[in-house]
Amino acid sequence: MTGRTAADREQAWVRHRDFYVEIGEQPGVPGPIPTPEELRRQRWGWFRSAPSAVLAALLKLYRRLISPLYGQVCGFYPSCSAYGLEAVTVHGAIRGGGLTAWRVLRCNPFTGGGVDHVPQAARIWPEGSTPSIIETNHPPIPPDDDCAAAEAEPSD
Amino acid sequence: MGFFDTLLLPFTWAVSWLLSMFHNLLTLFSDDGDWADSGWNWTISIVMLVIVIRIILIPLFVRQIKSQRGMQEIQPEVQKLQAKYKGKKDPVSRQAMAQEQQALFKKHKVNPFMMCLPILAQMPIFLALFWMLNRMRQEQYQQEGYGALSASEVQSFDNSEIFGVGMSDIFLPAFNSSPTEWNVIILTAVMIVTMVLTQFFTQKQLMSKNMSEAAMTGQAAQMQKVMLYALPLVFVIGGVNFPVGVLIYWTATNFWTMGQQWWVIRNNPTPGSQAEKELNLRRAARGLPPIHEKKGEAEQAEEKPKPSGKHLGQNAQPSRKKRKK
Repeated sequence: MTGRTAADREQAWVRHRDFYVEIGEQPGVPGPIPTPEELRRQRWGWFRSAPSAVLAALLKLYRRLISPLYGQVCGFYPSCSAYGLEAVTVHGAIRGGGLTAWRVLRCNPFTGGGVDHVPQAARIWPEGSTPSIIETNHPPIPPDDDCAAAEAEPSD
Repeated sequence: MGFFDTLLLPFTWAVSWLLSMFHNLLTLFSDDGDWADSGWNWTISIVMLVIVIRIILIPLFVRQIKSQRGMQEIQPEVQKLQAKYKGKKDPVSRQAMAQEQQALFKKHKVNPFMMCLPILAQMPIFLALFWMLNRMRQEQYQQEGYGALSASEVQSFDNSEIFGVGMSDIFLPAFNSSPTEWNVIILTAVMIVTMVLTQFFTQKQLMSKNMSEAAMTGQAAQMQKVMLYALPLVFVIGGVNFPVGVLIYWTATNFWTMGQQWWVIRNNPTPGSQAEKELNLRRAARGLPPIHEKKGEAEQAEEKPKPSGKHLGQNAQPSRKKRKK
């Protein structure tokens, strides 16, 4: 795994949309080889990546330092800060920032929360270098049948 | 005007407008000529600002408590979910469980969480107040005014004093100046200690009384324990750097939070917590069924007139907590 580098053209690529799977499926499985167009769009110039990186760094700082002060307050999955981090990472500062602001506005007791993922973006990454927030926000959900055995056990 | 002034403009304007309004109102009610420029006038104005902001947030708060009400009814399904993830403590499984749990809450239109907006909404207000109070110490804004505050109001604020301490005085500079300004140090120190104590009490009460047994184990609970001691540190570090005006706001907010939480813990405790047991004991003493027992039952009980207020005799005492069953 570690021997692979981004320069290796033959390697597998993971698309953001690969993380949007049904219950029981494994998210983040590499899809078909990307087209040259996809590869071209994957590269963000500094003009696009710098503001995104700044916002992402701020959000990471917030998640590290301020979030724990409040414990879990967010009624959504992923939480607003996790959503924001993924949004600016995959959509960039402007669209990602807008999505995040809209999410925070919706995060009030009148909307009721729920599962609300970041809209799919066109971003792709070489396998293994997906930002960790994407994997954090899209865990594999085991099918309910899995727990049939556990439930059969006598509980205390 | 700097970049930050522009960014905070809507908030500083709202905050300064409210402050100015309260100050004018309070000035109207007094014949005392010095009252207008008194530090106490400004202090009460700041406290009223806190009250207004927190009152605005009450509907959100009430709505949130209501959305907690249904939690008890979906307990079987929550337990099923907990069984599914029993023993899986790795981060990925915890995330998966969190996702399924939120989906479950959404399906049943309940949610035990406070939500981000009410909490985040207070941040720019605090920031704006802090920024504004800092600006009011500067010559430029004492000539121009700031936000909705006129030049004379800014000067009045900056020159006003409580216990001989100016609204813009700060612990650290007072400490470093020679001679040391002891009145500033004592007042700010008292306020910092008050903030720390109210915060500590609020958090401690939350943890010891209002967390369900499930919530008291696990990583989140550990984090809360760390915060119990880390947050006072934040107050001390912030407190020595913030002017008296900000400390007044902060202390008042802490008191409000403490009172509000005391009320919630007493009347709407988290299901499965110590506070709920205590509430049910009190309810049993008054002949009411335990809270959250069943929606229909609970509603009927609420609609029933109070049990006539007649003394029920010694048998009505809460002899045992599982009396209802």
